[in-house]
Amino acid sequence: MASLGKIARRTFLIGSAAVAGGVAFGVYAARQPFPNPNLDDLGDGAVSFNPWVVIDNERVTLVAPHADKGQGIFSAQAALIAEELDIDLDQVEISFGEPDRAYFNTAITEAAAGFPMYDMSPTAERVRGFLGGVAKLAFPMMATGGSSAIPDVYDKLRQAGATARETLKLAASQESGVPVAELRTERGAVILPDGTEMPYTALAATAARIEPVMGVVLRDPADWRLAGRPMERVDIVRKSTGTLTYGIDFRTEDMRFATIKVNPRQGGALNGYDATEAEAMPGVERTVEITGGVAVVANNTWRAFRAANAIQFDWGDAPYPAEQEAHWDHLAGIFDDEHLNAEARVEGDVDAAEGEEISGEYRSPYIAHAPLEPLNATVLVTDTRVDIWTGHQIQMFAEQIVSEITGVDQENVHLHNHFIGGSFGHRLEFEFIRQAAEIANQMRGVPIQMTYSREEDFAHDFPRHITMGRGVAKVLNGQVNSLDVQIAGQSVMRSQMGRMGFNLPGPDTQLHEGAWDAPMFNLPNLRVRSYRTEALAPVSSWRAVGAGPNVFIYETLLDEAIHAAGADPLEERIRLMGHDVSVGVLEAVGEMCGWSGPNIGEGRGRGVAYGFSFGVAVATIVEVTHTDAGIRLDHVWMAADVGQVIDPVNLENLAQGGVVFGLGHAINCEITYSDGMAQQTNYHAHEGMRIWQCPPIEFRALETNPKIRGFGEPPIPPSAPALGNAIFAATGQRIREMPFNKHIDFV
Amino acid sequence: MRLTVNGTEHEVDVEPDMPLLWVLRDELNITGPKYGCGIAQCGACTVHVDGFAVRSCQLAIGDLVGEVTTIEGLGTPDNLHAVQQAWIEHQVAQCGYCQSGQIMQAADLLAANPQPSDADIDAVMGGNLCRCGTYPRIRAAIHSAAARLQEA
Amino acid sequence: MRSFALLLTLSFATVAFAEIENAVIDVPEEGSVTTEEGLAAFQRVYEVVSHPRCSNCHTGADNLPMWSGPSFGQTRPHGMNINAGESRMGVETLVCSTCHITLQEFTEDSNAIAHAPPMTALPWQLAPVEFEWFGRSAAEVCAQLSDPERNGGRDWVGLAEHLVDDAGHGGFVLWGWNPGGTREPAPYSLQQHVDDVLAWGAAGSPCPDE
Repeated sequence: MASLGKIARRTFLIGSAAVAGGVAFGVYAARQPFPNPNLDDLGDGAVSFNPWVVIDNERVTLVAPHADKGQGIFSAQAALIAEELDIDLDQVEISFGEPDRAYFNTAITEAAAGFPMYDMSPTAERVRGFLGGVAKLAFPMMATGGSSAIPDVYDKLRQAGATARETLKLAASQESGVPVAELRTERGAVILPDGTEMPYTALAATAARIEPVMGVVLRDPADWRLAGRPMERVDIVRKSTGTLTYGIDFRTEDMRFATIKVNPRQGGALNGYDATEAEAMPGVERTVEITGGVAVVANNTWRAFRAANAIQFDWGDAPYPAEQEAHWDHLAGIFDDEHLNAEARVEGDVDAAEGEEISGEYRSPYIAHAPLEPLNATVLVTDTRVDIWTGHQIQMFAEQIVSEITGVDQENVHLHNHFIGGSFGHRLEFEFIRQAAEIANQMRGVPIQMTYSREEDFAHDFPRHITMGRGVAKVLNGQVNSLDVQIAGQSVMRSQMGRMGFNLPGPDTQLHEGAWDAPMFNLPNLRVRSYRTEALAPVSSWRAVGAGPNVFIYETLLDEAIHAAGADPLEERIRLMGHDVSVGVLEAVGEMCGWSGPNIGEGRGRGVAYGFSFGVAVATIVEVTHTDAGIRLDHVWMAADVGQVIDPVNLENLAQGGVVFGLGHAINCEITYSDGMAQQTNYHAHEGMRIWQCPPIEFRALETNPKIRGFGEPPIPPSAPALGNAIFAATGQRIREMPFNKHIDFV
Repeated sequence: MRLTVNGTEHEVDVEPDMPLLWVLRDELNITGPKYGCGIAQCGACTVHVDGFAVRSCQLAIGDLVGEVTTIEGLGTPDNLHAVQQAWIEHQVAQCGYCQSGQIMQAADLLAANPQPSDADIDAVMGGNLCRCGTYPRIRAAIHSAAARLQEA
Repeated sequence: MRSFALLLTLSFATVAFAEIENAVIDVPEEGSVTTEEGLAAFQRVYEVVSHPRCSNCHTGADNLPMWSGPSFGQTRPHGMNINAGESRMGVETLVCSTCHITLQEFTEDSNAIAHAPPMTALPWQLAPVEFEWFGRSAAEVCAQLSDPERNGGRDWVGLAEHLVDDAGHGGFVLWGWNPGGTREPAPYSLQQHVDDVLAWGAAGSPCPDE
């Protein structure tokens, strides 16, 4: 296949160096790119300038390796390449590509640098750059998460497109004899001065023989054709016609349908089971033992579900407290030096600070991810090769796990990524990949599609970490003078990384994220301490991770303090803020709703909250009415600053969806444990928001943030406290625990 | 068992209590209708039976009376239904997994009520869960589809 | 608007249930039941009709089915913003049978899945609005059941026949004692309930004071 041969490959390796590594960072030794994976299977006369652009004589293929679980990154990646390549999205094929180190995420380590994300000082930037380099050497992770995909690809994909474009022009120049300076490009072709079009596909063979042109200058966003304005997402037609193939829709010849039952007491043992009845049921081929449970392999998913329910199990105990109340009791007992995770922020002296004292205790429960597409993976194991058809956010690590299970070399394990029907963090986990691989490994040569029942998906989710907060505020002369915030929680990073086999050193920053880094520089006294435990239920990153609970705690306490001070919730937040971008979003949201204070009439109220997470400042205002039937949500306004906007329509969709997600869970969702098992087994008990509860949601994007940011997560954190603060304004009732429907009825 | 799906008759060898959803997905490879909950909580499996929206995860094949239309039979990328056009126009989908069901339910709504108000939409679409939270766009798209159908 | 009649023809099913036993009607002789026994019988009848399996769908003119009882925790209107409309079967909005499938045959397995919408062999619907029982006292319900204007024009034997007839079609009455899932069945049994209605009627349909 690789008829381009070794010479061409070496050529491109050298040539594409500065492209793949991301020239923005300039740490060459650490950033030296990995080999371009597209070269392995490149056909005769085809060319791949870098890991993201492949052209042969028939088509132009753009590789968009970041996982798309609904956030629209597939389209955004393609648009960024196409913008510089001068080709339209209806002229290209777009592929998730083959998982490869070349696609490692250079932005995902940013948050771990120990500097607040708004800190753009040279020191902070150097540490981030260094960490990215170290991560690449130690563990180059191809991953989608932490709202990092856009920051990761923003420069490198445009660079990839530009390099390809300039190289194609050089090829056209060689073929036509016209100097490069006299050539232009448009809709997938190099255009000669006389109007002759040389399609990129026709230039591929020549381009393959020359070195990619380096040092291209990226266009000013003001000159963009595609990005920066509303675009039709490339998956939207398929998603509106039922023709998109999610992992669960994958079909191949002789495929079997399987499901699993694993101890619902997470991590507990399988002491024994009796599958006699299940194995005799219609369509059941066999049962297979897997780690901690049993799988049923059948010729239809429903038959597998039904048979799995017929297995009698003897489950072992849970390795954490069996009853929910003990989880809260445990958290209440770890606000001490022994459990100190970090004294993350100290400004002034909260103990010595003067003023009237207000204090509260706050609770944020476990919550399930529960994306609508239940976890599933299809795996075919042979003695020499493994194929995995699924959707995953850390593809190569999934391949590594399957390699370990099957004994097949990782280079012969191929994960074919699919669009994902929602994740919210669930597709960062590996259990379902392991389980599918364990089944398929015992039935080599047979493709196995393993699907969780919804009940298994709830029972075996690793939910959002449970958190308890304690806060003391002091107000003086009508202003907030001091905030002392303590947050105790199950360590989400240690739990999640632990399942990946990593022993995370140092503090878990997620236990204070969103609280320690609120840029309220005009608050004279602030202390944020976090406390860590690992004794509770296994947990995982849930959309916005630590900032979700932490911003709820911080912004509710702050709101209580502002009320006690007799100040205006919006004006006092603006006064406290010493960060222009944050002031901007607060002022914008005030303007959007015509802010006139929290009390807007009998039984009506508005609540403000501000959240800073994943480098994005977000301000949210919720308006509610207290009706006879309960609290009704009337309106939501949100302003956020992500820097450069790639697609304003998609951004608005993410903002609205984030509000729905943040509010819905704050209102009615929690996972509680009894007898070691999650008591919520399906959506009837963990519903979230439905359309009739959804208020109008207005969104404004600001573009003053000095760095471009992703927006999957930032809308979430301020949603819940804005609602709680609005309920207080409408009713005088302060709710310090989610879900709110434990304390007040909703319409 | 015989059934007609999107105008094509099929013969399947299944138990009468197998839900229609699994006959469609795993026996006939018609995967537009999605499995989300199995208990009529999410609506992702919604299909039409003789024009009425039905949760196919609840309808045992033995209880099926009438012809089935799935999202694939409502319209295709080359021949979109007005509701699908509106869904594209408003860029409704995020993950898109619930949208087959949302669209089938919306088409049923518009067949019964050609000019629904927001309250009418909320009364009909409340059984269709969207975890990504695309509700504001669903409302807008239904209004657009209604207008489109009025013109037609 | 599509017609209500179309829906009915679509969803009416032929019923041949065999697995669940129906009640039989054994009419007591008039005067064979004392007033006191009749009142006691009615108390049991009231326990049945005010039980969530029955009363949740015997709701008022707001046409809202209710969720109440041990399987629901807090009493509240049916989730998902459901309103059955004046048709009492959701024709104006979302027909009940979108989720509550009309079965060909009501069997013991028909409602086996926990938390799934219950189903019968009759099209799912609210009882006629005159039969509003939800939240009503024993005296109120007794007056309703005694009043042909508000009980479908039936005498007490007619009421018992109605129960058996509905159950014979694999309908809601049969479901009340065979609700499946994690739902609590109505108290006593279908046969006991029919017998109690008959005893109450034979005693002259006495009503409690409150």
